[in-house]
Amino acid sequence: MLEDYLHILIFLAVAILIGFAPRVLGMLLGPRRPDPEKDAPYECGFDAFESARMKFDVRYYLVAILFILFDLEIAFLFPWAVVLEELGTAGLLSMSVFLGILVVGFIYEWRKGALDWE
Amino acid sequence: MTTLTPSLTSSMIAILPELVILVTACTVLVADLYTRDDQKQSNHNLTIIGLLLALIAVGFVGGSVPTEAFSESFIRDPMSDLLKGAILIVSLLTFIYAKDYMRDREMWVGEYHVLLLFAVLGMLIMVSANGFLTLYLGLELLSLCLYALVAFDRDSKQGAEAAMKYFVLGALGSGMLLYGISMLYGASGGFAFADVAAAVASDGVNDKILVFGLVFALIGIAFKFGAVPFHMWLPDVYQGAPTPIVLFLSSAPKIAAFAMAARILIEALGGLQSDWGEILVILSVLSLALGNVVAIAQTNIKRMLAYSTISHVGFIFLGLLAGSEQGYASAMFYSVVYALMSAGAFGVLLMISSKGQDVQELDDLKGLSDRAPWLAAMMALMMFSMAGVPPMVGFVAKLLVLEAIIAQGMVWLAIVAVAFSIIGAFYYLRVVKMLYFDKPTTEVPVTTNASARVAITVNGAAILLLGMYPATLFTLCQQAFPG
Amino acid sequence: MGFEKFLFYVFAAITVVAAGMVVTRRNPVHAVLFLVLAFVSSAALWLLLEAEFLGIVLVLVYVGAVMVLFLFVVMMLDIDIAALRGQFIRYLPIGLLIALVMVVNLFLVLGPSNFGLELFAKPEAQPADYSNTVELGLQLYTTYLYPFEIAAVILLVAIVAAIRLTLRRRPETKYQDASKQVRVKKGPDRIRLVSMPALKEKSK
Repeated sequence: MLEDYLHILIFLAVAILIGFAPRVLGMLLGPRRPDPEKDAPYECGFDAFESARMKFDVRYYLVAILFILFDLEIAFLFPWAVVLEELGTAGLLSMSVFLGILVVGFIYEWRKGALDWE
Repeated sequence: MTTLTPSLTSSMIAILPELVILVTACTVLVADLYTRDDQKQSNHNLTIIGLLLALIAVGFVGGSVPTEAFSESFIRDPMSDLLKGAILIVSLLTFIYAKDYMRDREMWVGEYHVLLLFAVLGMLIMVSANGFLTLYLGLELLSLCLYALVAFDRDSKQGAEAAMKYFVLGALGSGMLLYGISMLYGASGGFAFADVAAAVASDGVNDKILVFGLVFALIGIAFKFGAVPFHMWLPDVYQGAPTPIVLFLSSAPKIAAFAMAARILIEALGGLQSDWGEILVILSVLSLALGNVVAIAQTNIKRMLAYSTISHVGFIFLGLLAGSEQGYASAMFYSVVYALMSAGAFGVLLMISSKGQDVQELDDLKGLSDRAPWLAAMMALMMFSMAGVPPMVGFVAKLLVLEAIIAQGMVWLAIVAVAFSIIGAFYYLRVVKMLYFDKPTTEVPVTTNASARVAITVNGAAILLLGMYPATLFTLCQQAFPG
Repeated sequence: MGFEKFLFYVFAAITVVAAGMVVTRRNPVHAVLFLVLAFVSSAALWLLLEAEFLGIVLVLVYVGAVMVLFLFVVMMLDIDIAALRGQFIRYLPIGLLIALVMVVNLFLVLGPSNFGLELFAKPEAQPADYSNTVELGLQLYTTYLYPFEIAAVILLVAIVAAIRLTLRRRPETKYQDASKQVRVKKGPDRIRLVSMPALKEKSK
C-alpha cells in the first residue's frame, strides 16, 4: 500500500532540493551589498506612491467562493464514481438528487449574472 | 446495495414536510429569477402555500408511533411532530408580519424568502435528527441562513457588524459542539443517539471521554441558545439585524435549539443527567440573573428583548435540569410558548415601524395606545405574558417549570427563579406603562395591512387561550416524553 | 515500520511548525502560505493512515480552493497591524491564563491516562487491495444518504448567501453583451428609417 507512494516521496524530496538549492547557493556565493535605493520598490523611477497592498474588489471573493462550492461538489463525486457499479440505480439516483439541488443553485447564479464580469 | 430501494419510499414519505419546504424554496429561487420586480407578491404567496402544505404534511405523517428513516439518520416521533408544527406556524407568522417592513426597505426579494425557507428546513432537520451527524448538518444549514439574513441589509453597517459577530461566535460554538461530538463518537463508535446512549449505559460516568464530550456539546448548545456566559452575541445581533430577522431569530430557532438540547442531553446522554444537570444549574441561574437585571438598563427595545430572551433561556434550562419527564415536557412547553410570545412582540414592533423609521428605542412606544389601540393592547398582552402575569400563557409556562423543579426537591432554585422573574417583571411592565400612560412622541399614523392584523390577533388570542386552557398543548408535550 | 514512523514525525513536525508560523507571522499573506504548508503536510499524514481520499480532498479543496479564498479575503481587508497589536497586548494576560487553564484541562482528560496507546487495540492491517475510497463511497451514498443530500442543500444556501451579500449591479460600467450583439438582425435593428418632412431653414 504505502510502498506505492515511495516515488512520490522521492519526487517531493527532489522538488524541495531543487527549490532550496539555488537560494542557498545564491545566498552563499552571491555578493550582497544592500542599500536603501536598491531595496526600494521600483515604480517607474518615482518614489512609491502608496503601500503595494491594496484592497481587492469583493467580486474576486465571489468568484472564489463559487469555485469552492463546486469544487466541494466534485470532491463528493470521487468516491461515488469509484463505487457506482456496486451502488447501481440507487447510487445514480442519490447523486442525481445531489446534483439536481446544485443545478438549481447554478441556474440561480447564472441568471443573477454572478458569472459575468461586468 | 439495492437493499436501499424498498425502504426508500417509506423514507421519502417520512420526510414529506422537509421535502415540501425544500421544493418550495427551490421553486421560489428559480421563479424569482423569471418574475418582474412588480410581481414579487408571487414569492410571498408561494412561500405561504409551501409552509401551509408542510404543516399539512406534518399532520399527515404524524402519529404516536416513532418511525425511523434513511438508515436511522432520521426520526419522526411525537416530539418532532409538535415542534415541527410550532416551527412552521411561527415561521408563517414571521413572513406575514415582515411583509410590509421588508417591502418598504427594498429587501423583499427572492433571496429573503429562500434563505428563510432554508432556515426553516434546517430547523425541521434538526428537530427530526436521530444522530449527531444529521443534527449538526441541520444546525449548520440553519446557522448559515441566519448569518446571511442578519447581514441582509447590505447598506447597513450595524447589520454587517452584527453578522460578523454572530458568524465568528456562531462558528466558535459550532466548533465546540463538533469537538464534543467527535469525542462522543470516539467513545461510542457511532453517530446515532442510541449508540452514544448505549456507550453511556455500559461505561457510565467513569468514562472521562464521554463526560468531556458532553461538556463541549453542552457549550455548543448554550452558545446556540444564548445562555450566559455564552450570550455575548445576542444583544448586538438583535440590535443590528433587521427587525424581521430578529423576529425570526428569536422565535423559531429557540424551538429547534430545544430539540437539539433534548436530543443530545436526554436521548443520547440521559445516563449522564447528574453531570449535565449541575452544569445547567449554573447556566440557568446566571442567565436568569444577568438577563433580568441587565434588561432593566436598556433603552433600546431590541436589546431589551435580547436580554429578555436570555432570561427565558434560563427558564427553559430549569425545566431541562429537573431531569424528570415532567421537567422535559415543561421546558418544551416553555420554548414553544416563548417563540409565540417573542414573535408577537416583534410582530408589533414591525407593524408600528413606518417606512422611513424603525422602532428601535423604548421611547418610540410611548403613547402607542393613542395611535394604534389594538396593537398597543397586543403589545401589552405579550409583555404581561413574558412577565408571567396570569391568565396569560407565560404564567402557566413558568408555573409548570417551577412545579417540575420543586417536585425534584430543588426549592432554592425555584425561589431564585421567582425572585429574578419579579425583578424582570419591572421592565416588561415599564413597557406597558409607556404604551398607555405616556404622551406619544410622534403623530405619524400607524398603517398596517389586513393579514398582519389578523395574524397579530390570532397570535394574541393564542397567548390568552393557551394560558386559560394549557392542557391540550401540555398533554402533547408530555406525550413527547413518555418516560 | 521504522521508516514510516520516521516519515510521520517529519510530517508532524512540519505541520506543527507551519501551524505555529501561521499564528505568529506578521504578514497575513505569509501566514496563509504557511497554512498551505500545514495542510499539505497533514494531507501527507492522512496518506500515512491510508486515508487517500481524505488526503486528496484536503489538497484539492483546502489547498486548492479555500486558500485562494483566504488570500482574497486577506487582500480585501485593510488590516492595521499596529492597532491589532495594541489590542493583542492588552488582552494577552487574560488570554494566556485561559489558554493555560484549557491546556491543563485538556491534558488531564486527553492525556495518556485516557488516550494512551495501551488503551486502544491496534487496528488490523487491511489487505493490499483494500481501498479507503471504496469503503467511504459504499457508506456515504447508502447509510448516510440523508446527511449527504443535506450537504447539497447547505452548498446551495452558500451559493445564495454569497451572491446576495456580495453581488451588486454596477449600472455605471459599460460592457459589451455578446449575446445581444449576435441577436442583432439586418435591417430594422441596425438602421431605422424615419420619414420626416423637409425642413426649410429659417431665413433671418
